[in-house]
Amino acid sequence: MTPHALSRRTFLKATVAGAAVIGVPQTLRAQPKTFKIGAVHPVTGPLAEPGQACRLGAQLGVEAINAAGGVKGKGGMQLELLLGDTQSKPENGRVEAERLVNQGAQMLLGSFDSGSTAAMVSVAQQKRVPFLVDIAAADPITANVAKAVKEGQQKVQYVYRNFPTGSSFGRKAVQYFTEIFAEAKVTPKRVALMHCNDLFGVNQARGFLAAYKAAKPAWTLLEDDVIPWPEPPADLSTEVAKLKTLKPDVIAPITRPASAQILLPELRKQRVESLAILGPGSPGLYEAGQIAALKDDLEYVLDSVPWPNFKNPRTQKLAEDYQKRSNGRLFDTNSGYSYDAISIIADVLERAAKLDDPDAIVDAIHKTTFTGGLMQYGGPIHFSEVGDNPNAISTMIQILKAKPVAVWPKDAAVQKLVFPRPKA
Amino acid sequence: MAQGRGRAEAGLPAPQGLTAIDATLVAQALLNGVLFGGVFSLMAVGLTLIFGVMRVVNFAHGDMMVWGMYLAWLMATRAGVDPYLGFVLCAAALFVLGFLVQRLLVQRIVDAPHEMQILLMLGVALVLENTALLLFGPEPQRVRSVLARSTLWLGPVFVDVARLIAFGVAALLTLALSLFLFRTDLGRSIRAAADNTYGALVIGTDVQRVYAAAFGVGAACVGAAGALVSPLLPFSPPTGLQLSVASFNIVIIGGMGSLLGAFVGGLLVAVAESLGAVFLKPSLKELVSFSLLVLILLFRPAGLFGRRAS
Amino acid sequence: MAVAALLVLVALPLAPTLVGSYVVTLLTLIFFYGYLGQAWNIVGGYAGQLSAGHAAFLGIGAYACAVLAVEKGLTPWIGMFVGGALAAVLGTLIGFLGFRFGLRGFYFVLLTVAFAEICRIVASNVDAIGGAVGYYITFTGDPRQFQFQDARAYYYIALVLMLGATGLVAWLERRRFGVYLSAIREDEGACEALGVDTFRYKMLAMMLSSFLTGIGGAFYAFYVFSLQPASVFGIPLSVEIIIRAVVGGAGTVAGPIVGSFILSPLAELARHYFAQSGWHGAHLIVYGALLIAVVLFLPEGAYPRLARLLRR
Repeated sequence: MTPHALSRRTFLKATVAGAAVIGVPQTLRAQPKTFKIGAVHPVTGPLAEPGQACRLGAQLGVEAINAAGGVKGKGGMQLELLLGDTQSKPENGRVEAERLVNQGAQMLLGSFDSGSTAAMVSVAQQKRVPFLVDIAAADPITANVAKAVKEGQQKVQYVYRNFPTGSSFGRKAVQYFTEIFAEAKVTPKRVALMHCNDLFGVNQARGFLAAYKAAKPAWTLLEDDVIPWPEPPADLSTEVAKLKTLKPDVIAPITRPASAQILLPELRKQRVESLAILGPGSPGLYEAGQIAALKDDLEYVLDSVPWPNFKNPRTQKLAEDYQKRSNGRLFDTNSGYSYDAISIIADVLERAAKLDDPDAIVDAIHKTTFTGGLMQYGGPIHFSEVGDNPNAISTMIQILKAKPVAVWPKDAAVQKLVFPRPKA
Repeated sequence: MAQGRGRAEAGLPAPQGLTAIDATLVAQALLNGVLFGGVFSLMAVGLTLIFGVMRVVNFAHGDMMVWGMYLAWLMATRAGVDPYLGFVLCAAALFVLGFLVQRLLVQRIVDAPHEMQILLMLGVALVLENTALLLFGPEPQRVRSVLARSTLWLGPVFVDVARLIAFGVAALLTLALSLFLFRTDLGRSIRAAADNTYGALVIGTDVQRVYAAAFGVGAACVGAAGALVSPLLPFSPPTGLQLSVASFNIVIIGGMGSLLGAFVGGLLVAVAESLGAVFLKPSLKELVSFSLLVLILLFRPAGLFGRRAS
Repeated sequence: MAVAALLVLVALPLAPTLVGSYVVTLLTLIFFYGYLGQAWNIVGGYAGQLSAGHAAFLGIGAYACAVLAVEKGLTPWIGMFVGGALAAVLGTLIGFLGFRFGLRGFYFVLLTVAFAEICRIVASNVDAIGGAVGYYITFTGDPRQFQFQDARAYYYIALVLMLGATGLVAWLERRRFGVYLSAIREDEGACEALGVDTFRYKMLAMMLSSFLTGIGGAFYAFYVFSLQPASVFGIPLSVEIIIRAVVGGAGTVAGPIVGSFILSPLAELARHYFAQSGWHGAHLIVYGALLIAVVLFLPEGAYPRLARLLRR
């Protein structure tokens, strides 16, 4: 098929049609006035639920920006989302990033699980496409790139992240634990850590233990008796029996939805008493589906998770929109961070000197101090030399009357903290 | 921290184990293992029947069990039927599935090399798992049963009532199955066809019908097992693979083709994993059953109760 | 046939200049999986020993190469051979255990699965290589570290791997080694009766197959830049490898390649087409249906049937 033999119009049509699947570079296509962002998430596969939440959050973000006039500083340029699906497979992170960049994406967003995110990093660096990680907690994702730049192997860092890292999760959790115990005037001596032995669980556990060692707080964590279980587990009765022999006063579980559904009833069945079930930060302890499945077993459970700032009226409104658009799902961490990532990108584009120069965009990223985020932050959004946002923090939430509400720190609290939990 | 090593500097400490392994803990682990093993056994019994009769390795076994679980879930959520009653329906539905799979698919390659069979059932497994994914989504589900919330305390150890019932039903079903195989005509035909296909043909047994029935019965067992386990275990389509692997472990250890072997094997594997969780890092407990598997494969491939060498 | 093959051989190296980077990436993966399928073909297709645990070899090669590169600064150009060698060690062990103890058919399959799962569980629990969090490789773009600023380099490497493995298999097929393997597959008992040392030939096949797969692991590590035990040692990856060889034609030279050219685009299309309508995992249903169809109707695989059609 030679270009000369076809009319330009036919060729354009064929290109456009083919490009959707094949992704031939569209250098001959007339440039419409949109800025394309490639949003890659695991919308099918085992992480489909959070993946779809992220995608919808990003879509709502783009709609909001466009409705308000687009990138005003650049002639009202509209944002356009190009969608990618990794199915949680690392190599698909690469394939999708390549495909979307081929279709004209000038920035990348994604991708929830650290494996595919790491694969996207290589594409971002190879093709010089700024990549804002909306959710992924493994520290090396940004740290490795920063290191390569520092050692001169790469010229510019194109990867940035607006999400707490495993280590910052840990530090915040330890801080909250200390503050909550102080508030209740107790000093637990037997805080027992248990976690799922998968990527997320291990990352969180490590961050928590490292932060604990560094902080040396008054309370005591049973460091030598951490209980990991294979995820997903068939049975946790022995693990819980082991826990019981430790005689814990506070139970700190890091779970996934599947394991939480086994763990919490098991704790009740084996009558493991404690001052509280206080999670250092994990899924499975607050989602609507989990509350429906676990009912009373989740009451009074605390979890330190990145959370929307529901005190902000904009957040409330968005939560309602989200619920309508998603057929009843709750606006939460995943949708929220993807939404905020879009808002940050829009802000960056306003300030970037030129939109067709990735280095100018990176420059604008470095200068970010954004306060328009809807999630709970510890201050304005900005990026450290490693590329992470030190103000991306978690909030301690508690399930009270079958609803997750923010209870700590006090200025973020929507309701009062209940600790220790009332005797059954 | 990140020196390109891809991990935080503070690694997780190797658990020292609990300084004095609690006798109660060990007793509890044993008890848990035995009770949970009952359901494992039922799952394995179905598999061993299929293999024992037809020499077909049902790679889709775990996925059939997951379908049993989803059916139980559907019955519980749409019709309010408790899985401890509804398991009969699950068994029936899975019987039909097994029968059809045998008649339409497996029958055609009965004379083909083993590898083809394995690949066929692998294909069936993929289709079953992903159809479930399509229909039910990827989130873990669990069936609520009134009985699943209670516990019985025997001194310092406790018995999970749901598991006890599952164990009881599993044991009864295994017994019923052996009675079927040894006391009924169809059962005897199945055993005869298993021992000597040509002989069975010679005396006029409709071998095809027998095979299909055997597959069906095997699938029914696993359907019942699925229903019984559904209140105990959150399940999602990928659970099928885990369960298949676990079933094979048990059946090899117990002995392919031996009902008693499957039953004892189920208990053994569950107890081994349970004790493994006590003495090792619990996340390593699966290593115990795999190691057992490797040992059996090497030193006694016929399994503990198997009748002939591989 | 030969003309077609020649045309293809000429066209492929030119492709990156003609098509966009997305197609290049797809082709890279087609070549890579074709390579893995070909490596499996040696022991699974020719020798007829079905291994459902080849992911173990890939994982070991990947981790070995990555860890040596990051911790000891060993360039992956050498590290990949070390990885391959370590994978071959495991292959030898599994082969020895399996073949010495006379495990055939299903029992051998289960042995390979057990070892892959053991590797996965162990890797998930060893913190020194990242445990369940995985191992991350820094992107430097330095060719001495087997990294490239231009992704097209991967295309050529994957192409070379695939063609190399295919050439090797084609060469082996004609030699006594290949003939013996096929004979063992058809009737091992008869071979033994004729005095062929079946153990030796099966072991060699296993060692070669695992060595090559290990090298593939190194490529994988430096292509996706992170290794997670669940994806790298998992059964789904072993299935991807097997299915390409089987659908294309196990025991034939072009089988795994044809299989890869059929299955990878299929998966990619299914992923896009079905994902739009929210159908999860539809491409795997297609895989499963294909596998069933091939076993029932086309047991020798697509390539032999195609070859016959083209010859007419």
